Amino acid sequence: MSSKNRIRRFTPVQQLFHLLLILSFMTQAVTGLARLFIETSWGKWLAWLFGGYDACRIIHIYVGIFMICLFVLHLFYVLGKVNWKEFPGSLYGPDSLMFRFKDVKDFFRHVGWFFGIAKAPEFDRWGYWEKFDYWAVFWGIPVLGITGLLLAYHVAASKIMPGWGLNIALWIHRIEAILAMLHVFILHLVLSNLRRSNFPMDRAMFEGSVELTHARHERPAWVSRLEQAGELERNLVPEAPVGRRAIFYVFGYAVIVVSTFLLIGGLINSPYITW
Amino acid sequence: MERIKPLKLWLVGVLLVELILLGNVAFAQEEVASALRRYKAYEASTGYYEEYEVRPRRQRPLISVPNIRQGIFPYSPTVAKVRSRTHLEDSHQGIRFYQGRQCEDCHPAAALDIHTTRANLTCRQCHGGEPVASVNYYWSPLNPIRRHAYVCAKCHEGASASYASYVVHEPNPALASTKVAFPALFYVFWIMIGLAVGTFAIFLPHDVLWGIRELFAKKEKPEGELKE
Repeated sequence: MSSKNRIRRFTPVQQLFHLLLILSFMTQAVTGLARLFIETSWGKWLAWLFGGYDACRIIHIYVGIFMICLFVLHLFYVLGKVNWKEFPGSLYGPDSLMFRFKDVKDFFRHVGWFFGIAKAPEFDRWGYWEKFDYWAVFWGIPVLGITGLLLAYHVAASKIMPGWGLNIALWIHRIEAILAMLHVFILHLVLSNLRRSNFPMDRAMFEGSVELTHARHERPAWVSRLEQAGELERNLVPEAPVGRRAIFYVFGYAVIVVSTFLLIGGLINSPYITW
Repeated sequence: MERIKPLKLWLVGVLLVELILLGNVAFAQEEVASALRRYKAYEASTGYYEEYEVRPRRQRPLISVPNIRQGIFPYSPTVAKVRSRTHLEDSHQGIRFYQGRQCEDCHPAAALDIHTTRANLTCRQCHGGEPVASVNYYWSPLNPIRRHAYVCAKCHEGASASYASYVVHEPNPALASTKVAFPALFYVFWIMIGLAVGTFAIFLPHDVLWGIRELFAKKEKPEGELKE
């Protein structure tokens, strides 16, 4: 019998949301970059993988619509998760992803710790950088989704707004998408997987749990809160079997490899396209 | 008989008002050069782009189109021909060695837009054959009063006048001149760039410093209370 040395962090539904987000985001990244870089051989090759310039557009539109549906589903999910009895106070509890004043304090204390002038902050369940990641996606999907729909159905869109709005929609879509990709490819993946304390991979989102040792070290406020409430025992789970862990590593590193390829290819080819 | 007379007068009056105020039948359909083949299909199959000329509808004094100075006396012929190349029948009239040049020689920026670089459109597919009329020349297919129907709709079926206000030769949104030419694009561009740069200005050094700091942190203590 394997020991229960991990603490549950994400539910299977949340893991499924994240997995679908990874798959759809990466598809959008490849098909979107293929179209943006179609003037270069790199972009042509990316487009060829998905059936060419026009096929990339169709895939991009339908996967985009899928992401919008996912977002709407997520909204219903979140509404179902809110503790309405204690609303709105419950929104600012330690288990909520809403920003609170402690996050600002944590940020500055954390930066102080980087320079060795402050003690590391005692994080609760969600660190400020994780909340930022969540809200970045929460803001990003509607921005990309709305501008994407306007661009995809441009003739219909021009009935509800002037046609020059499409020029603006394209730039919003472009910059927001580039920001999202750079954020995920550089900040999110590096921070989650390549930091010394997480290396070689943070399996929390795949396995749904983190090592208790690690949680006690990085999020002491969360673990002690669970201990005081007598809920720690209930939230402990065993480690996933080796086979499943291997799948997590292969999938996770495949995403990192593709991301790095897109990042480097995009940076190298960016001077050779018509923006 | 006495009753019919005022009725006749009234009908004549209505007819006169209609003749003055309402436009007559448009010649738009003549733009499709071939009666048998659609313009786009013809272009695609032969690679040959037919020259066409369009004729104006009668001006309607009570209906104005944005950016087009219109009315009973829109502009004098002299002003149109002398003062501005934007209203000429042949926008390149008087240019030396014109015949030996290509569009990109004088309009390099105009050749770098999505329509040209990605959809592989040629200039003539929208601007028409020689003589290339000025965009605001009344008879021009690119005149904003008919651009949507004569040019945009060739590929974008159902294009409206609003649709045709899409700026094909988009200015570089980063430039100060765009603040004058297309202010909304300029401000939106810089707001989005500010957002992106701001995010990285905070989180890139933050993550780098965090990564370095962790290298010097004490190793995590092993858990002494592992649960069975």
